This record gives sequence, structure tokens and C-alpha cells, in this order.
Amino acid sequence: MSSLSLNQTTASPGKRRSQLKKYAIAYSFILPNLIGFAIFTLIPMGFSLVLAFMNWDGANQISWAGFDNFSRLLRDETFRISLTNTLIFVAGNVPLTMVAALGLAMLLNQPLRGRNFFRTTFFFPYVASLVAVAVVWNMLFFPSAGPVNSLLSALGVQNPPRWSASVDWAMITVILASVWKGVGYYMIIYLAALQSIPTILYEAAAVDGANAWQKFRYVTLPMLTPATFFISVMLTIASFKVFDLIMVMTGGGPGRATNVLVVHIYNTAFKEFRFGYSSSIAMVLLFMVLAITVVQFYMEKRWVNYQ
Amino acid sequence: MSVLGVQGKWKISVTLLSLLLVFAVMGGVSAQDQVHLRMTVWDTATTPYWQAVVDAYQAQNPNVTVELIDIASAEYQDVVNVMLSGGDDVDVITVKDIPGYSAMLTRGQIIPLNEYIEAADIDLSLYSGAAEELTYEDALYALPFRSDIWILYYNKAIFDAAGLPYPTNDMTWNEFDALARQLASGSGADRVYGAHFHVWRSTVQLPTVQDGENIVIAEDYSFMAPTYNMITSLQADQIIMDYGELKAGSIHYSGVFKNSQVAMLPMGSWFIGSLIAAQKAGEFDFSWGVARYPHPEGVEAGTTAGTLTSLAINTASANKDAAFNFIQFYSGVEGAQVLAALGNLPAIRTPEVLEVFAAVAGVPVEAQEALQTTTVRLELPMHPNVGAYEQILNQEHELIMTNSVTVEEGIAEINRRVAEEIGD
Repeated sequence: MSSLSLNQTTASPGKRRSQLKKYAIAYSFILPNLIGFAIFTLIPMGFSLVLAFMNWDGANQISWAGFDNFSRLLRDETFRISLTNTLIFVAGNVPLTMVAALGLAMLLNQPLRGRNFFRTTFFFPYVASLVAVAVVWNMLFFPSAGPVNSLLSALGVQNPPRWSASVDWAMITVILASVWKGVGYYMIIYLAALQSIPTILYEAAAVDGANAWQKFRYVTLPMLTPATFFISVMLTIASFKVFDLIMVMTGGGPGRATNVLVVHIYNTAFKEFRFGYSSSIAMVLLFMVLAITVVQFYMEKRWVNYQ
Repeated sequence: MSVLGVQGKWKISVTLLSLLLVFAVMGGVSAQDQVHLRMTVWDTATTPYWQAVVDAYQAQNPNVTVELIDIASAEYQDVVNVMLSGGDDVDVITVKDIPGYSAMLTRGQIIPLNEYIEAADIDLSLYSGAAEELTYEDALYALPFRSDIWILYYNKAIFDAAGLPYPTNDMTWNEFDALARQLASGSGADRVYGAHFHVWRSTVQLPTVQDGENIVIAEDYSFMAPTYNMITSLQADQIIMDYGELKAGSIHYSGVFKNSQVAMLPMGSWFIGSLIAAQKAGEFDFSWGVARYPHPEGVEAGTTAGTLTSLAINTASANKDAAFNFIQFYSGVEGAQVLAALGNLPAIRTPEVLEVFAAVAGVPVEAQEALQTTTVRLELPMHPNVGAYEQILNQEHELIMTNSVTVEEGIAEINRRVAEEIGD
């Protein structure tokens, strides 16, 4: 390492030029993506950041609002409800998806007949159209004659839940749908990680007399920590951003039972035309996700094991 | 690598280039006369009149082409808002409802038409009051082309089977309630419901403003309690379908009516056109009728609620003159005749236009009387905060109808939220 940096500092002009050329080639490869990112993500994000301190109805003059939008947040009941709902969704969706993904990955890592078929099947919801998934889930959970409640009734459940038509069950219904939809993708990541664990470790554990649980607990889980870390970060961010599934399944209802932050952002911007205020909610969401991600990265050193 | 050689390539390039030049010159010449208009509409597949009126206009004006931008009905206003906020230069905007009209007008996204109307010498009295309802601060921003009213649809086969007389044109909501209870029969998948209330807030809230004493922009909403009590009790007794199920199953009112699952359906007159088309296509074969919208006790029969569908011109349009010429046709007598011929109620209802409507195959004979109104109240009045009111009303409507709260709790919550959330 040190000899390399020494070489770099004493490199001849010709060498430096060729190195520059190398960088230029590399940058030219990422440039198209970077331009797209700047136009469609970076600039709108910057605009939204500025807009959070402004009043704008989308058509008339933009006016300065200072911190009005943020002080308004403290008084906004729907914002409080949406924030709580978002946290509930994250708290339900992240662990459930992770456990389900790991379980499926473990199962489909076994020498199983028709293994590839099942792997594809579980991955399928991830590529399926979200609107179709939402509609089908609503049908499955149809209160009176839906398959789920018919099954529950057949099993002797007296008053089966009314799922998305009930204030108490709507959030659970949405979380279940979201787990089912996302689990295939995270399963694939876990599968890849599982397959990269050297068998030698299991052999050594077997020699030491470890049983199946101990192998899982002391070999598999620690070796999976990089994948678990990656999944927990990506899944947390995705869960905070949930919108489309909820919009199609419940529209944020009944009442405000599944009104999450992004639904609230959407309603304030496009139903009430308060783009400035809506941007301030978006900023709160951004900083919340950022803070949680920073904490996750900070904690990473304590539990993630890079072999 | 090359079969043609350098010279061959060069020749091809020159030929291509000259061809391109020729096309460019030709294009430049013809583009001067040709006008291309873009118009936002919804659900073209199930709404045949959009294209029909355009075809009639294009037949008379061969230099104009009109492109329909099809948007799903449920997202229509949201999509249009995003388009306009993004500076889209679409020429003609169909105004679906009053909240959309009010939002676009106060934000300066559609232009006042008064100068054009004066120049074209249009007689606004032909619209029998609709133009006045759309006038805001002395300016008219849209020309109405459809004016729909709420009426009552009924399935004659179900009435005949129950041995009950058809609904009359003078029926109170209490009589409607009693009739619905008599009509309901069967159970499980064979259940026939006495009436049907679609999931829209308006299906319950319109009867509450029919007397003209209240409007949906209010401070105290206790006037809504009697209607909510009646409809939630119909729901509890399974005389009407369950709101939560309609919502979860995205069940459309047309399906349950066409499947003979419901006897009576309060709905807008726009449904006549779809029903005729569906019957012609063989989707159902029972005979159906229409009657006037039921009315509260003490309110004159024929009092109903209505909606206007109108056409406006985008402020960012580059073809405003051509666009006005087009909407003048669409909302005028000629457009009205095309609309009427397809079973739609145009905003202009001259005797000739109504004759065309009545002559459409499939329009029930009862329609002529049922469509006569004494008073039409707008579903939603013009108000700058109408979007915020609607959100609260929609959310609490959902809670009441899913039995998450009682009628009193729901109404108290509307009152509290309107007082706290609107106005700052």
C-alpha cells in the first residue's frame, strides 16, 4: 500500500497523463447515469429543500415563509397520525420481511426437489405489478366471502377480521401485503450470502460437536451479518418511503388509519396545493431516514462481521 | 467491411440529405395551416362521446386535428394538476368538477373566456343557468357541455318479482327507505339488495343539502345526521351492500346494477349512456327505468343535485383561438346533438336536442319526465379551500360508513377538524 502511494507521488508526467485518461474513461462511464440522477433526483431534491421554507401553490408567485411550515407541522394532527403510522409500518415491515426472507432462503438453500421453481415463485411477487398485487390482496382479504376469511370461518373463527375495511386491521393487512411483495428480493440476497459461506466452517463446527441450532447461531448468522446489514438499511429506507401499495389498497384509510407520511405529502401537495408545506414534511422524512441510516452505520462496527 | 466503397456511401448521404431537406420544406409549408390541439379527457374506452364530438368537429374543420389525452377517471384531476404545474401546454382541459375548476381558476391556469364569448356572440342563456354557476368574480372560465343531475335508476324485473309498484317521480327519502326494505330478499351470493349507495361521499351527503338550507362547506355538520342514520341503518340491516366490502373489492356501481343485485340505484344521469351501451352489447337483458331523485320531506319533487362538465383553455396553450373555436363547437348546439345522440345529457337542452336524446334507442320512456327538474343544486360550491374540506369529509365519511365511529362521533369530528384545520 505504502509503496503504491509512493509511486503515485513520484510518477512521471507521462504516467500521470495516462492515469488522467484512465479516470476520464471511468467518469465517462458513470456520466450518463450521473446526468439522469442530477436532473431527476438531485435538482428536484434541492428545489424541495428550498421550497420547504416557502409558500407555493404550484402556479402563483413563490413567497418566503421562513420556519412557518415547520412550526405548522407541530400543530398538524394528520402529520402526527401519519408519522405514527409510518413508524408502525416500519416496525412491522422490516423485521417481518427479514425473518421471512431468511427463513425462505434457508429453506431453498437445501437440496430440495424443484428448488429453482420455488425460488422463482417466491421472487415473482417482487416483479409483479404493484397495482395488481394490491387489488389481488384486497380480494384475498375481502371481508365477507374472501378466501382468507372463508378459511378462518371454516377453522371456527367466529368474527374474522374485516382487514382493509377496518380501522384496527387495515395497517396489518397492508404490512402483510408488503412483506409478501418484498420478501423474494431479500431472499435472493440472503441466498447469495448463504452460498458464499465456506463449507469448511460447518465441517469444523461439526467436528467440534455443534448441533444444527448451534451451527445456525454461531456460523450462519455471523457470516450473514453483512447481508443482514445491507438488507436492514435498504428495507428501512424503503419502508419509510411506502406509498404506492397503501394508495392502491386503502388510499390511506379507513379514515386516516393507514395514512403514512408520503401519502400525507402527496395529499398536501396535490390535493391542497401547498407545495411548500408538503416539502417541509418531505424534509422531516428525509432527515429521519438519514438519521436512522447513520445510526445503522454507526452500529455496524459492533455487530457486522466481514470475513 | 464496406461493399459500397467510399463513393457509394457519399452518394447515399447526399440523397438522404436532399430528401430530408425536401421533407423539411414540405412540413414547414403544411404546418402553417394545420392546427393540432391536445385535450385532456378520461376513460375514452368507456366514454364514446369524447371521440364522437371530435370526429364531428374534424369533419367540419379538416385542418384541425384533436388529440385526446386519456387519463383514468379516478386520477383525472391529480394528473391534470401535475401537468399544469409542470407547465404542460395542452390546449383544452376538460373540467370534471367544481373543486378542480376552482383550483385551476384561482391558480391562473385557465383563462377567462369573456372576450372570446363576446366576440363569438354566444348566447349564454342557452345553458339555462349553468354558465352563471360557473361564473367567478364576473368572469367565466369554462363553457359547460354536459349537465348531469342525480336521478334514481331501478331494475323493473326485481320490482315485478316482488310485486311492488315502480318508484314514482314524487318520492321522499323516507318512502325510498321503506321501499328498499321491502325489496331486499335472498341471502349469500343470491342476495338482492333493496338499494345501492356507491362509496362516494356524495351519495350520502347530497340528500343532506337538497333542501337548500345547508351546503357542504359549513361549520356545523349536524344537518347530515338524519341521512347518515338512515343509510347506516340500511347497511346494518343488509338492505344495501356493505361499504367496507365495496371499498375493499373496488366494486363499481355499474356491475352490481347490471348483475341485478340491486333494485334501486341513486346515481347521476351520466349512467344512462353507459347502461344503454351495455344493454346493446348484451351485458344484461332486464328492463330498467328511471325516476326523479327522491327528496326530503317538505322539499319540492324534482329538486336534485347536479354536476357540470365543462371545457376550459390552458393559459399555457399556444393555440388559444383554435382551442376556443373547438370548445365553442363542443359545448354548442352541434356538440350537444352528438352528445344527446349517444344518450348523454348536454348542458344545452333545446327542444331539438332533447328530442334527439329521447329518440336514442334504449332510453327508457320514463326518462323524459324523470329528467325534468325544478331546482338543481351544485354538488360542491366554489370555495378556495374546497380541497381541504373534501379531504376531511371523505375521511370521516369512510369512518362512519365502516362503523369505526358512530354517526354522532363522526359528525362531531368533522366539526372539530373543520374548525381546527381549515382557515390558517
